[in-house]
Amino acid sequence: MPERTARRTWSFTGSLESLFVSPTLLFAAFILVPLIALSVRGWQDGEVAQRLTSPFVIHALQLSIITSTLSLALALVLGVPAAYLLARSRFPGHRMLTILVELPMVLPPTVAGVALLVAFGRRGLIGATLSDLGLELAFTTAAVVLAQLFVAAPFLVRSLQAGFEAIDPTYEEVSRTLGVSEWRTFWRVTLPLAWPALLSGSVLCWTRSLSELGATIIFAGNFEGRTQTMPLAIITAFESSAGLSGAIALSLMLLAVALVLLLLTRVVSRRSRGDVS
Amino acid sequence: MITVDIQKRLGAFQLDVQFEADRETVVLFGRSGSGKSRSLAAIAGLMRPDSGTIAIGDRTVFDSWRGINVPPQQRSLGYLFQQVGLFPHMTVDQNIAYPLAGWDRTARDRRVEELKRLLRIEDLGRRYPDQISGGQQQRVALARALARPVEALLLDEPFSALDEALRADLRAELIRLRGELDVPIVCVTHDLREAHLLADRIAVVEDGHVFQFASRMEVFQHPASRRVAELTGVANIFAARGIGGTRVEIGGLPFEVPTAVPAGIDVDVALRAERCLLRRIDPTEALPANCFLAEITSELAFGSSYTLRLAPAGPGPSVEVDIASHPYDVLGIATRKQWVVELPAADLHVMQRETTLDAR
Repeated sequence: MPERTARRTWSFTGSLESLFVSPTLLFAAFILVPLIALSVRGWQDGEVAQRLTSPFVIHALQLSIITSTLSLALALVLGVPAAYLLARSRFPGHRMLTILVELPMVLPPTVAGVALLVAFGRRGLIGATLSDLGLELAFTTAAVVLAQLFVAAPFLVRSLQAGFEAIDPTYEEVSRTLGVSEWRTFWRVTLPLAWPALLSGSVLCWTRSLSELGATIIFAGNFEGRTQTMPLAIITAFESSAGLSGAIALSLMLLAVALVLLLLTRVVSRRSRGDVS
Repeated sequence: MITVDIQKRLGAFQLDVQFEADRETVVLFGRSGSGKSRSLAAIAGLMRPDSGTIAIGDRTVFDSWRGINVPPQQRSLGYLFQQVGLFPHMTVDQNIAYPLAGWDRTARDRRVEELKRLLRIEDLGRRYPDQISGGQQQRVALARALARPVEALLLDEPFSALDEALRADLRAELIRLRGELDVPIVCVTHDLREAHLLADRIAVVEDGHVFQFASRMEVFQHPASRRVAELTGVANIFAARGIGGTRVEIGGLPFEVPTAVPAGIDVDVALRAERCLLRRIDPTEALPANCFLAEITSELAFGSSYTLRLAPAGPGPSVEVDIASHPYDVLGIATRKQWVVELPAADLHVMQRETTLDAR
């Protein structure tokens, strides 16, 4: 792996690259300093350690992990077919669908929350009918998942669509001439070749779900154990008498979860890249 | 047995080809963009013709009238793509075993070993496609295409991405395999030597049409038209006119040809450059039949042979002559400009003049 050894040695060729060193360091410091501050405060503040194991925090953590995992699963079920179709087929409305899928990415999450509420709320466009059938969505854990799905799924679809588009369709043709059905070809050739895009898209989708706040608080409300995910708990703690200590405890925990996720995907994607090359 | 008779409109391009392949190698020969690769894609089911029929063995896989269009995965063909198309996320073994998903493990492993032996790639099983050379990739792709029992083998420019030494190697391999496979092979190529080497029969394809479909010898020695002669590398194509009996007039001189041409009828006469002779005759004596005096205007050295261009000293046509390096030295071509050129009567091939209507 010559690439790897090259990365470990110093090589700033040309004056342009030397010029870019300072802004890069500044940028890195800008991200690092708040994270260090968070850790230092967590270490010094005796209350933080206590808070970490309080039911308030545990409930939020559990809820966050369950809902974000569920929304990722739903995003995969709906997003993989959508991404494939957008990548491989041309049909009327293709461009409209592409824009539609990307819309939630540029929409402020609070707007998404309001929109979800007027659609699926008790007196909403569809919610009214659902309500008559005895199905209440707003202010439930299901609403948390829907809010996360709405906001986060586009990240998966976009990444995966690009991944599918990068695969030479010849591979799929080859597979079919070898007597393998289209369905099997998808599972054995197309999806494995899109694996890096699938992985990075899933991580984006999952972490976006984990940090979802605006849409959730409007559509699902802020009820401990039911709709109060980590970001909502941080807000609540911050505004409560407990003040900063609770918020710091929750933030550290969320930071840890995000870090673990990031490292995990790094390891997995490196292993898979080893396979491919 | 494969029989193909298909039509397909692709924008301004009209594909309209007919050919068949028994237990033999049929080469679709033509320039790039002539429609030969598309014909192969149609046989494989990757391109749907507008009309016509395709049969593989005793099964009709496409028939526009009867509404038959068997999907590619059910056509039991071995198809070797121009781009090879080995799956990059699978090892060589996994690639070869890929079409054998339904087989039990021992049978599958045995088949993979067998194919690797056949194609001499035994040591590569655990490598990934980007860890082996282009020639090895081509062999693996061939092994994979042959893994299932197939009713025909389709090869799309199978050696185009390889350097000359590897090509020679793989061609020899293919000729060896042909004996063992006993199925029709349809091979697409734009390489004249490759076509000559591999083909039992050749279909000359140009502008989406088959201009001649005949045995290799027939196509090379008796091209059906000026167009086929040009495509198959005939350097000398003379415009001629019948002057009675088996004589024609070329460039103001009478020449003897093997076939009778009615007087006053325009024809084309083909002569391959290597069949054109330079003779050591004293130019002051009377010249024998089919001979005339010409002067060398340019010469190209190819190492093993020379290509000479000659312009007539008096009446007669301009000609191109290929001569091997040994006779070139023995005759002392380099030392003299003026030569007697003979167009041997037996090698002159008379072709009907293509009218613009015939030329499509």
